[in-house]
Amino acid sequence: MSSEAQEGQTSNKITCTDVTCPVCGLTCDDIEVEVDDVSVVTRNACIMGDAKFKELRSSHRITAPLINGKEAPWSDAIDKAAEIFVNAKRPFFFIGSETATEAMSVGIEIAEMLGGLVDGNATICHGPTVMAIQDVGQVGCTLGETRNRADLDIYWGANPEDSHPRHLSRHSVFQRGFFTGQGRFGRQIMVVDPRRSTTAEHADLHLQLKPGTDFEVLNALMTILNGFEPHESFTEVTGISREDIYKAADMIKDARFGVIWVGLGIASTRGKHYNASMAMRLTQLGNKYGKFVILANRGHCNVAGFNEVLAWQCGFPYAVDFSTGEPRYQPGEYSTVDVLRRGEADALFCMCADLGAHLPKRAVERMCEIPVVSIETAEGPQAFISDVVLPGVLDGMECEGTFYRMDNVPCYARSFIDPPFDFTKSNEDTLIQLRDAIKRKLAARGKTTETVEGAAETGSKATTLSEEEYVQRLDTLLSQPQS
Amino acid sequence: MEIILNTGGTAFQGACVKGGRKFTDEYTQEAAYCDINPEDFVALGKPWLVKITNEYGDSVVLQAKKTDRQQKGEIFIPRGPWANIVVTTYTESTGSPAYKNRKVEIEEGSGPVLGPVTLMKKYYSKRTNRTGRTPAEGGA
Ligand code: SF4
Repeated sequence: MSSEAQEGQTSNKITCTDVTCPVCGLTCDDIEVEVDDVSVVTRNACIMGDAKFKELRSSHRITAPLINGKEAPWSDAIDKAAEIFVNAKRPFFFIGSETATEAMSVGIEIAEMLGGLVDGNATICHGPTVMAIQDVGQVGCTLGETRNRADLDIYWGANPEDSHPRHLSRHSVFQRGFFTGQGRFGRQIMVVDPRRSTTAEHADLHLQLKPGTDFEVLNALMTILNGFEPHESFTEVTGISREDIYKAADMIKDARFGVIWVGLGIASTRGKHYNASMAMRLTQLGNKYGKFVILANRGHCNVAGFNEVLAWQCGFPYAVDFSTGEPRYQPGEYSTVDVLRRGEADALFCMCADLGAHLPKRAVERMCEIPVVSIETAEGPQAFISDVVLPGVLDGMECEGTFYRMDNVPCYARSFIDPPFDFTKSNEDTLIQLRDAIKRKLAARGKTTETVEGAAETGSKATTLSEEEYVQRLDTLLSQPQS
Repeated sequence: MEIILNTGGTAFQGACVKGGRKFTDEYTQEAAYCDINPEDFVALGKPWLVKITNEYGDSVVLQAKKTDRQQKGEIFIPRGPWANIVVTTYTESTGSPAYKNRKVEIEEGSGPVLGPVTLMKKYYSKRTNRTGRTPAEGGA
């Protein structure tokens, strides 16, 4: 990958090419960014990528640590955060995806050191798909192969036009690859989605199934491919005509290289990992006719990286509990939403993931009862419910790092600008500082049982926020012109 | 009226979140609405606002948007704090909550549609009355 950072016309203008976008799972590596003192201009980035790069020069960036909503010195914030976790009986570490694997690794290390729980964005995303990979196994490939070879793209419960805006143009439908020189005209597109999504508008065949019948439709396709008839109740159950399901089966049989792109449509609906397992079995069966692969459209940035790093460090992809001193894996028991719903965690660390906005209400309510420490770059629901906010560094822009693309290919992202503060160089650096502070506290206490005695106390101490002040500060922030 | 709720990301809502504009009116515009099939829309009395209530009794008021992208009997709310008021924590032992395909009640609503800061204050302002209970003490 060639790289180039040059001085532009004005002295403070930086132009950078081949920048890696740290926003969705596609990890596009062809972005051009021009930054000066006040503005950011991007080329090749989609609307979401562009918005993130504009964060480099935004008015709502959090640039100072906050304790209970008030600006505080960095050392106090780290100390307070360390105190919270040293005092907790069941600390929970949520390692979000908008950061590099190097930082994730340290987060997992802290969780292990404290005997806490650790989970990442996969838990509210493609967790069920990951479970299916464990159950059935995945026939996969890289995005390079899909763009150069695939002549059938099946989007199952996926709407990349919204979730991965450059998916269709870079890696599938419109891309003119080595064996796919005709672009859209050389590819067949099938969309399986209860909504007529924007992606469905490009489809040769849209199976508009009833919600929650993915399993039945997948099953019917396998039945046809195995030479049998689907059950007579098929149309009534799924809402799909027999004509359409046979057409879909024919498309699979005719393909030379078919890809099933699975989205959250199968992972977030009833049946979850069973749906995903079935999709993987269908993929295996498709290989009787041509080459067939399945890829998960992983949405959040480095979410695949978390699974890789956790699996590498302790053998499991997500939802891990270290409380017995060894890693135990059990989605539904040690996963974020379940732990919070049961009111188990008594302190939460949330790194680069706006859990306040993205978890169901009953889970967020628990977060309002316990001390919460977050790494955040902007004001928002997560910062609102956090007791300590540590300013986030924009990985891939202000510090280098590794991101796993949605096909599990690690991509290295360079930095091209410095963070707007000097107390930390990267989120990894922040976590190392936090880890060391925790270690010092544990050592000072001789790491005896008394270390956990004050857990409840800390919880109530952390609540002494004047809400008025916090909201006032927010109002001031919001009244400033937004970039 | 009973209806099936699906939630999910949109590029515009995504741009708002990634751009850190989570406490702006733009976020309300991009995430606090509900897509409704034209037939259901008429059946609801062509409402400006709708109130969605889930099985726990939690409810949220949203802008009603008529669209033929939805099938009859289903609604769509973009991912975000509004949708998550009515998303349930039922994970079928996978960790992934019921973001899609869950029955909810829909009816004509009376405003206002809360902005993100007001929404957080209304539903999650427990900062001043936190209990700080640990699980052993029955915290939940
Ligand atoms: S498609 Fe994804 S990786 Fe590519 S520019 Fe857009 S947000 Fe960034």
